[in-house]
Amino acid sequence: MKLIIGGYAQGKLQYVLRKDPVEAEKIWDGQLPENGNVAEGKIILHHFHNWVKKRLAEGGCPEKEILEFIQIHPDCIIISDEIGNGIVPVDVFEREYRERTGRILIELAEKAEEVERVICGIGQRIK
Amino acid sequence: MMTLIIGGSGSGKSAFAENCIGLLAEGKKKYYLATMQVFDKEGEKKIERHRRLRSGKGFLTIEQPTAIEKALTKISEKDSCALLECMSNLVANEMFSGEIPGTEAEVTERIAAGISRLKEGLEHLVIVSNNVFEDGRQYDESTMEYIRAMGKINELLAGMADRVVEVVVGIPITVKDNSSGTGRKE
Repeated sequence: MKLIIGGYAQGKLQYVLRKDPVEAEKIWDGQLPENGNVAEGKIILHHFHNWVKKRLAEGGCPEKEILEFIQIHPDCIIISDEIGNGIVPVDVFEREYRERTGRILIELAEKAEEVERVICGIGQRIK
Repeated sequence: MMTLIIGGSGSGKSAFAENCIGLLAEGKKKYYLATMQVFDKEGEKKIERHRRLRSGKGFLTIEQPTAIEKALTKISEKDSCALLECMSNLVANEMFSGEIPGTEAEVTERIAAGISRLKEGLEHLVIVSNNVFEDGRQYDESTMEYIRAMGKINELLAGMADRVVEVVVGIPITVKDNSSGTGRKE
């Protein structure tokens, strides 16, 4: 599993695709493929933070769900915005979203073979 | 020696900072300078989480929500080490806990002077600060003033520090390292 992080609009997906072309139908935007709906080969989870937010809003447990997912798809690429670099929000849900997304990304980074941070479309390998 | 550690919320900066001071303070007294004031259940939970992470690591805790240099009066040994967490709380407390909000200039000057004295009085000082600069939002004027004060203070602290490390998804990235001779590199 590879983890790609960076700010909004930094060209993260294009960066990944330049290095590693993946067919459009294997790129999942803000969602995880449903069971039985998974094509063979490498999968990209794009806008991963949006999926975390959605699951939190639905009362799910993204921590557990994503770990199960990467066990089944050990060669997936996860792309997420960095969302923690701001003023702590007044809204309870927004606060929890940032905190839990941060903790999930730390765990994914620990498990990843590679972590890259993309800025201006350029990746810096940090692990 | 002084180390500045910066990161966003949920970046893993605290865990890294505690590790860092653990390595630096071997065999020495190790203080935790807590700056957070608790107002509600969520704050209590946050402090509880941090206490749990610290438990068994041999920290002596000093609660110092304002006037950070006063922590020195509670530390006797000159070769002590301290971890200050977190600058964002200290700046908020200095700015907003008085009857009239402190200005960016006042708060910046007060904190920089306090940290400078702490640094002199300790063997190692590790400071955790927060990246509050990249959400692209426009807040009310007092919050913008707070963000500017944070920016200025981080800049001053980075200047004083021998080492500056940014923590991203739990991974340390060295921004500055003049701490030659300690033999510790990330």
